[in-house]
This record gives sequence, C-alpha cells and structure tokens, in this order.
Amino acid sequence: MNDGYQLKPIQKEEITHTQLVKYAGASGDFNPIHTVVPFAEEAGLGGVIAHGMMIMGFIGQAIGEWFSAEDLVKFSVRFKAMTKPGEKITVRGNIVDEKDDRWICEAEAVNEAGEVKVKGFFEIKR
Amino acid sequence: MNTALQEKIGAKLESYTFKVEAGKVKELALAIGDLKEEYLIGEKLLPTFPTVIDFWGGGQSIGELLGLNGKKVLHGEQEYEYFGEMKVGDILTVKGVVENIYTKAAMNFVVIKKEYFNEQDELVLISRSTVIERH
Repeated sequence: MNDGYQLKPIQKEEITHTQLVKYAGASGDFNPIHTVVPFAEEAGLGGVIAHGMMIMGFIGQAIGEWFSAEDLVKFSVRFKAMTKPGEKITVRGNIVDEKDDRWICEAEAVNEAGEVKVKGFFEIKR
Repeated sequence: MNTALQEKIGAKLESYTFKVEAGKVKELALAIGDLKEEYLIGEKLLPTFPTVIDFWGGGQSIGELLGLNGKKVLHGEQEYEYFGEMKVGDILTVKGVVENIYTKAAMNFVVIKKEYFNEQDELVLISRSTVIERH
C-alpha cells in the first residue's frame, strides 16, 4: 500500500464453513462453490471458497470502525485471491490523500501469511 | 472477442424492487461479524447491504443473460457510489445495464452498472460489478 496515515488494523476471527452458510443465507448468494464441498472440489477449487462480498464486508466493517460508514461516498474493491475456511483475515487501511471535503483511503484484507485477498479504495466525508 | 457477447453492451437488465427489512440487515451483520448496534437494530445499513438487494431482489442472472459459462465466472471488482441514504422500510427499484464488455489477458470482462432509486425516485446508489469469464 502507499504511504499515508495508518489506520488501526482490524483482526477478524477464523472463517468457518458455518459462517459461509450464514453469509449465503443472509446475502442470498447460494452459488454452491461457497457452501457445498463436493461441488467446489469438482469445480477444481479444492474445497469451498468464501464469498468475495463477505471479505468486502470485512473491509466495510473496518471502515465503520475507522470512520462512520454513513459518511462513505465511494467504496470499491478488487478481488485478488480466493479465501477459504480456516483462514484468518486482517483488514489494514491507510489515509493516502485528503481533499477539501473528503479523505481518500486504501484498505486491504490479508491472511496470516500476508497474502492480499481483497484490495479496496474508499472516499469518506470529513 | 466473441461478437455475440460484444453485442450485449447496452443491454438492459430486468428491473426489480426490494423492500429493506430490519431482519435482513441484522442477518447480514451477524454473517459478516460486524456487530454494531445500529446494524443489529436496523437503524443503519451496512456498506455492502446492496448485495442483499441484488440477490434477494430477484434480479435475473447475468450469466444467463450473457450466456457465460457459470463454472468459469468470477467476481473481479465491485464499486459502490453512495448518493443518498437507504434505510429500513425503503422500497428500492434497481435498474441495470451492461455498461461494458472487453477482453484482456484471454478473459472476458463484463461491467454491470446498476442504479438504485427510492420511492421518491431519488438516485441513492450506483453499483458497478465487474464479472470475469475465464476462457
């Protein structure tokens, strides 16, 4: 990430299969690659993978802790790598620029090995 | 690139409506593990709540519309621009369009733009999803 003012990292608990089932029901994304192990294995994924939008949700959680989520103007992410049950995600963030009316920030969700799963950018009203 | 796919640029998605319910907000907060009181009581919506609107709002499958191979489709990027407040009780109408399709590194990229309007017909959110189809 670029240099800038560093925001306090948010540590998430280990992702479980049960969490993916809950997220599927909550979001309505019932693609079986997220919940049905044999299907995900047949799809060549070596097991189920987390919904990318759930990891974006982790970053959204961090934004709400760093700032107030209702001040969000823009929030975008790129999904870089798949996340699997058993992984522990940390969300890190930086303020990289400031405008008259908003902060420009970056965030990333990484696993314990430092692999970037999701890279995010957001703008928030000051 | 596949011309049949190229011709889908500008294609409109079927519009759909969704009523924001407090229970769905709480359920998403619990699944993510984002346990802020304002989400648990449905006073505020999570930044990624629009994904609930899309899946539960009954929007048609982008894969089917474009004839993509479901086993080779990935969610590449997601962007939200927030223009107005969305809250529990709102009935939102979503209008979507295939904004762009391009090929890069032997993969097809499809950009879907969706606009979310409240009952006063105010634009409250724009979402852009980039879907990637591996060859």
